[in-house]
Amino acid sequence: MIRFALRRILAAIPIGLLVTLGVFALVFAMPGDPLRELAGDKPVPPSVLAAERAQFHLDRPLLVQYGLYLKDIVTGHFGETFDGRDIGEQLRLRIPVTVKLALLANAFQFTAGMLFGSYAGFRRNGAVDRLLMLATLFVLAVPFLVLAFAAQYLFGVQLKWFPVSGTADGFPMSYLLPAMVIGLLSFAGLARVLRTSIVETVNSDFVKTARAKGIGEQRVLWRHILPNALLPVITFIGIDLAGIFAGAVLTESIFNLPGLGQFLFQAIQLKEGGVVVLLSTLAFISFIVINLIVDLLYGVLDPRVRSG
Amino acid sequence: MRRSSAALGLLLVPALALGACGNGKSATPAKSKSLTIVITAEPNKTLNPENGNSSADIQVAEALYAPLVETDPASGKLRNVVADSITPDATGRTWTIKIKDGFSFQNGQALTARDYVDTWNLTAYGPNAWKNNGFFSKVDGYDALNPTAPDGQTAAAPTAKEMTGLKVVDDHTFTVRLKVPFSQFGLTLQYLGLAPLAEAVRKDPKAYDHKPIGMGPYKLATDEWKTGEDIKLVKWNGYKATAPQADKVTFRFIQNGDTAYNEFLAGTVDSVQVPSTKKNTFKTDAPDRWLVSESAGNIFYFVFPSWDPAYAKPELRHAISMAIDRAAFANLVGLAKPASGLVAPGIDGQRPDACKYCTHDAAAAKKLFDEAGGLSKPMTINYNSGTSTGQTYAEAIGNMMRQTLGIEVRYVGKPGSEITDLADKKSLEGVRFGGWGHDYPSIEDYLTPMFKSNGDANFSKYANPKVDQLLAQGDSQPNPERAIQLYQQLEDICLEDMPLVPLYHIQDAYLAAKGVHPRNSRYTGVSPLWSTIDR
Repeated sequence: MIRFALRRILAAIPIGLLVTLGVFALVFAMPGDPLRELAGDKPVPPSVLAAERAQFHLDRPLLVQYGLYLKDIVTGHFGETFDGRDIGEQLRLRIPVTVKLALLANAFQFTAGMLFGSYAGFRRNGAVDRLLMLATLFVLAVPFLVLAFAAQYLFGVQLKWFPVSGTADGFPMSYLLPAMVIGLLSFAGLARVLRTSIVETVNSDFVKTARAKGIGEQRVLWRHILPNALLPVITFIGIDLAGIFAGAVLTESIFNLPGLGQFLFQAIQLKEGGVVVLLSTLAFISFIVINLIVDLLYGVLDPRVRSG
Repeated sequence: MRRSSAALGLLLVPALALGACGNGKSATPAKSKSLTIVITAEPNKTLNPENGNSSADIQVAEALYAPLVETDPASGKLRNVVADSITPDATGRTWTIKIKDGFSFQNGQALTARDYVDTWNLTAYGPNAWKNNGFFSKVDGYDALNPTAPDGQTAAAPTAKEMTGLKVVDDHTFTVRLKVPFSQFGLTLQYLGLAPLAEAVRKDPKAYDHKPIGMGPYKLATDEWKTGEDIKLVKWNGYKATAPQADKVTFRFIQNGDTAYNEFLAGTVDSVQVPSTKKNTFKTDAPDRWLVSESAGNIFYFVFPSWDPAYAKPELRHAISMAIDRAAFANLVGLAKPASGLVAPGIDGQRPDACKYCTHDAAAAKKLFDEAGGLSKPMTINYNSGTSTGQTYAEAIGNMMRQTLGIEVRYVGKPGSEITDLADKKSLEGVRFGGWGHDYPSIEDYLTPMFKSNGDANFSKYANPKVDQLLAQGDSQPNPERAIQLYQQLEDICLEDMPLVPLYHIQDAYLAAKGVHPRNSRYTGVSPLWSTIDR
């Protein structure tokens, strides 16, 4: 198992370099001059502009810039953003915010997904099953922005159950509403995967064998059907958890949570290659780690895929 | 198999527990004489006033520091704050600034002329790359601190650390010698980005970025302002001039305007600026709790390329201007007033009907357009693709052009800095949008940037020796009334030449909690910090 994990991690390094270089090149190719964009219509004295360009390596060619940023990441000297924020400090403040949001959102997604998915799976074509189908369509049709602001207005402004925005109320209070909104928008997908998986498992031979042997319904459900039906769900969650990083951009903006999503958005807007590379490296690492865990977990759950 | 179902159970429990707790406290607005003001922007990076020029920077600096002079919100005239007197010599080139006795920094250090001179030298020193560096480019000796180099080359190190134009006379007096006479210099001194830094701060500015030593009405409530938190201020008893009413002021940063608006509706904050998305609904969402500024000190326009012979005839430009229905356009922008001159309302010397060609008259426009020979090619309208409204505005103008003048119109969206770049190289095809907000309330701060041959906002690269000459005359005219007459003469020339077409002035709208009345002046705009509080 350790050899498997090591092999995966080593293979990830060149992929990671390629991905971040690609992202950096894309940012590099974006039109516009970030330092002048920052200044708006007001002219910047050439001496100030030159000092800033040198500070951020903007006077160097693409590959050299990328190399310098990579060196900064490896050595931990993150430096400052174009508009003068300390990047290390920003990361210390922002990573916990996004992690809390992502975990809580996944908890909601997982809870709702499991409940509705398994119920719909066992009671096929029942009311819950049909409702789930409807919910999936609804979620696909309503833009996230609309739902998030509607939830904020209803639960924050009108009912005052939750703070409207910000992190002043701490964890979990400040994170509940945004996490529920993300959870609501993503549980339906999970539930449908689980439903399908259960339907398949229920009709499989080993379940029929178990029933034929006279094992009780409860035992068949908990020991034979669910664990097998959960396999695709775990893969789904692994991919989804990483995807929440992308969703964080909007959620964090609407609920004024100072997390990585807002940071990434500002960095892209300002064409800030160094920060984008740093954040995509972080995203990449967490993606690799989560999926490694998923794969290892897979082996634990299903002896058939366990590798020697 | 047993393990997996146990794991499932473990995951479910905390999630359900979290889902169950619902009704939480939400922060109640601090009553009495305290204010929570939302700034709809990214948080400040530093509380060093010399290294910040965004509106968020200036709003916070207004609480922590005091300006030399300020515009009286009631009369629009300049009055002293820290300054005792500000007097130009006969030509308006050398200015003597005396400061009042009794002002000090919040660490106890007395405020002296030396603090201003040393702080300004530090800001003007190019390698520091402080945001307000450009302000001092008018001062004698600035160039030695800011050597320039052609593109692609590194500039040489500055040869000096102090500007020759700044001189300390005694503890309370210093002089500023400018490169050329400038009658409006006194007005520019109300800028809060010029606030002095205490001696301790000047020795190691970075160390004080988050724990400023101010000299204004408020000081930090805590030892240090931590990134990511609200800026909490309390009244400082050592302040010797008139202070705002609030005992405590909290600045909260919410970048998303709609979110900030919802916070206000929930009653958690005392004042918020209305985002453009709510311009049609704010009066019903918060009845009796809104206010709209009479002027916000800006002008928006579109600019002809002076380098393109197709737009060379002034009559053609007049016709295009007359084809625009400004009332309809201002309505589209929302919270805007149609422009009828080059200067924002509320500015000394502004005339409500300065522009002869800013009245919508479709028939006359078409006639004039045809007489001038029409446009030899389609009109290209450039807009900033980085804004949500750019395209809408471009199409609105384009439709007026097509319908009234019967010409073909093309739309091109580009990032703002690229449009500026192309215009700088005189290679931008077609017209573009532009705007200018004054740094100090003077008619001069509209005309110089927009029309001087190397002006900051001279996007059309308009160059007219007569204009430059009149500006120089106005700038060296010590009598304010005479200076304004010269500037008005200049405004007439620019409107006749029309290198740009004035469109509208944006107004600000604010929401303020019951019992909180932000100051609303037709000269200085809306200020939540200077609210009257009666609750």
